[in-house]
Amino acid sequence: MTQLPAPGATPAAPPPAEPLPTTTPARPRWRETLGLLARNPTAAVSATVLVLIVLVAVFDETLAPYGPNEQDPSLQLQPPSRDHPFGTDEFGRDVFSRVILGAGTSLRVGFLSVAFALVVGTLIGLVAGYYGRWVDDTLMRLMDVLFAFPAVLLAIAIVAIRGAGPANAILAIGIVYVPIFARVTRASVLGVREEVYVRASRSVGASDWRLITRHVLPNAAPPIIVQTSVSLAFAVLAEAALSFLGLGPRRPNPSWGLMLADGRGFIEQAWWYAVFPGLAIVVTVLCFNLLGDGLRDVLDPRQRTLMAGGGR
Amino acid sequence: MTSPAEQEVLVSARGLEVHFPVRSGGALRRTTGALRAVDGVDLDVYRGETLGLVGESGCGKSTLGNALLRLVPPTGGTVTFDGLDVTAMGRKQLRELRRRAGMVFQDPFASLDPRRTVAQTVSEPLEVHGLHPGRQARAARVRELLELVGLDAGVAARYPHEFSGGQRQRVGIARALAGEPDFLVCDEAIASLDVSVQAQVLNLLRRLQRQLGLTLLFISHDLSAVRHVSDRIAVMYLGRVVEVGPAAAVAAEPQMPYARALLSAVPVPHPELERSRQRIVLRGDVPSPARVPSGCRFRTRCPDVFEPCPDVDPVLQPVGSAPGHLAACHLHGVVGAPVQRAEPGAPVGAGDPAS
Ligand SMILES: Nc1ncnc2c1ncn2[C@@H]1O[C@H](COP(=O)(O)OP(=O)(O)OP(=O)(O)O)[C@@H](O)[C@H]1O
Ligand code: SF4
Ligand SMILES: [Mg+2]
Repeated sequence: MTQLPAPGATPAAPPPAEPLPTTTPARPRWRETLGLLARNPTAAVSATVLVLIVLVAVFDETLAPYGPNEQDPSLQLQPPSRDHPFGTDEFGRDVFSRVILGAGTSLRVGFLSVAFALVVGTLIGLVAGYYGRWVDDTLMRLMDVLFAFPAVLLAIAIVAIRGAGPANAILAIGIVYVPIFARVTRASVLGVREEVYVRASRSVGASDWRLITRHVLPNAAPPIIVQTSVSLAFAVLAEAALSFLGLGPRRPNPSWGLMLADGRGFIEQAWWYAVFPGLAIVVTVLCFNLLGDGLRDVLDPRQRTLMAGGGR
Repeated sequence: MTSPAEQEVLVSARGLEVHFPVRSGGALRRTTGALRAVDGVDLDVYRGETLGLVGESGCGKSTLGNALLRLVPPTGGTVTFDGLDVTAMGRKQLRELRRRAGMVFQDPFASLDPRRTVAQTVSEPLEVHGLHPGRQARAARVRELLELVGLDAGVAARYPHEFSGGQRQRVGIARALAGEPDFLVCDEAIASLDVSVQAQVLNLLRRLQRQLGLTLLFISHDLSAVRHVSDRIAVMYLGRVVEVGPAAAVAAEPQMPYARALLSAVPVPHPELERSRQRIVLRGDVPSPARVPSGCRFRTRCPDVFEPCPDVDPVLQPVGSAPGHLAACHLHGVVGAPVQRAEPGAPVGAGDPAS
């Protein structure tokens, strides 16, 4: 461990030629980012709600008053009540419990598919943008081909080939988002690659690996982070769509998309059956989108100076 | 001051060329020509000296500086660094070159990674080359380097955006010095600083050069600054060094029409000489480096152009009275290879009497 020198303990240095900054303390960038994000009310509220949703998904078994498949034939399609705040479905199962227990499925598919797209897409975009030339041409043409397919159609095709189920839904949604991450990353890398500080690091002997990991990627990250948040919104939606079409997780496992699909048939007798899972989807998707917008504001350097300077 | 003849050459370029491909706009992007950014440069840099490199914008100064360090790959000619062929260096040798030869960049606001602290920036060369291994040893070396360039060692944990231009440039210089280099290319290192700060950074560079025995290539369009710091001056025009020599000689008695015009624009510190100083104004525009004129590349704007100029490309030859003063101009005797011509004509060969 390095010991912090006591004030005044440093040997006398030659007097600096210009006054040194004394007002702003050294602060890591991510704390600055969090601070700015906290001052953006929409983003702050969205982030809080998302944290709550994740907590619900993590502690679902503890929080759910009933089991996912606990049936009570005497209580079919009951409206919301004290015992069943979101009502019951056609088997007499508690919709509230099933929405809580379905959060895990929806988020897991969303997170894992975006994680897949993030890792693969960022890697492709990084290599294409950094090395340029034929590497860039080849990789990006490939991405164009992938991107040319309508997203849901591609996902359906993948699931149709590999079979339904959560793992294939993750893969399908993930592959659909790979070209988006690749494009966003490439565009960002192309700008950063030409920065003088990258040339400066090369001039002192830094390797490609070091340049990419220490300089290019960290500076190219902001648009990728924004894209992650926005993609999570679409991935949750896509999971719901796949489940809705019967291509995602299978019954009787609870999933928001499945519940929406099943509840649709009873929309006139029992609105609560479809509306509560639908609301869960809408709130989650909206929060990821709003957080993405907030991150865009905060991480855009021009916007950052504007806001740090007191403007809003 | 020692005369150049007694000095050891540290960096040397011979016939150095950097040609960038000019591509057609079409989808095929065919190469249709070459932009001759550096086009046959002969230049020696002596150990321990400051060599000033001057010339108009776009004449290839930065490209030459980068090519000497192989930060831009040369397309022709050779560069040697301390006797080693830079263009033929392998991975290991190239890394050692990166340690022994550094660069200070023009814009201190662009040359420091905004996401890295001063300490991280300055210690990068130490990490890359495995110098002063261990966190504490590196931190100590960083403090030492910061103090060397006149910064308080306490700034190590701060980010670049907290500093002024002059302070940032000091950080950039500390980074360039971290590997204990022999050779530093300063590419317009003071050009984007406030005038009041320029002198401070200039003096810092001079002090460091003496203290550490550095060899400097000082690229600048600020001719007064160049004259202030340089032992020798090289003048560049359209990708070629056209005059080089001891600073005093080149500044006081430039021998080649372009150098004369360029240097006539600089105020002379002597009041009487200043009054008699005549500004030579050049006519015409600088030709594009993609269309370099035949023979002497300066002939389209030269006030003294004469018969052999379009046919013979002049080479550097001794001129004036100072030793080591060279210029490429037929006014000092026609030396150079005749240009290849399609139609047969009277050959204007090397050594032909000029007039
Ligand atoms: N990477 C490149 N690709 C194509 N052309 C280039 C490249 N770098 C430089 N050039 C061209 O080479 C010529 C010389 O450029 P260079 O930057 O070396 O000039 P300079 O003397 O440093 O000019 P300045 O004083 O403006 O810095 C210019 O015409 C420039 O447009
Ligand atoms: S060689 Fe001819 S054109 Fe070139 S500088 Fe000398 S006089 Fe002028
Ligand atoms: Mg330049």
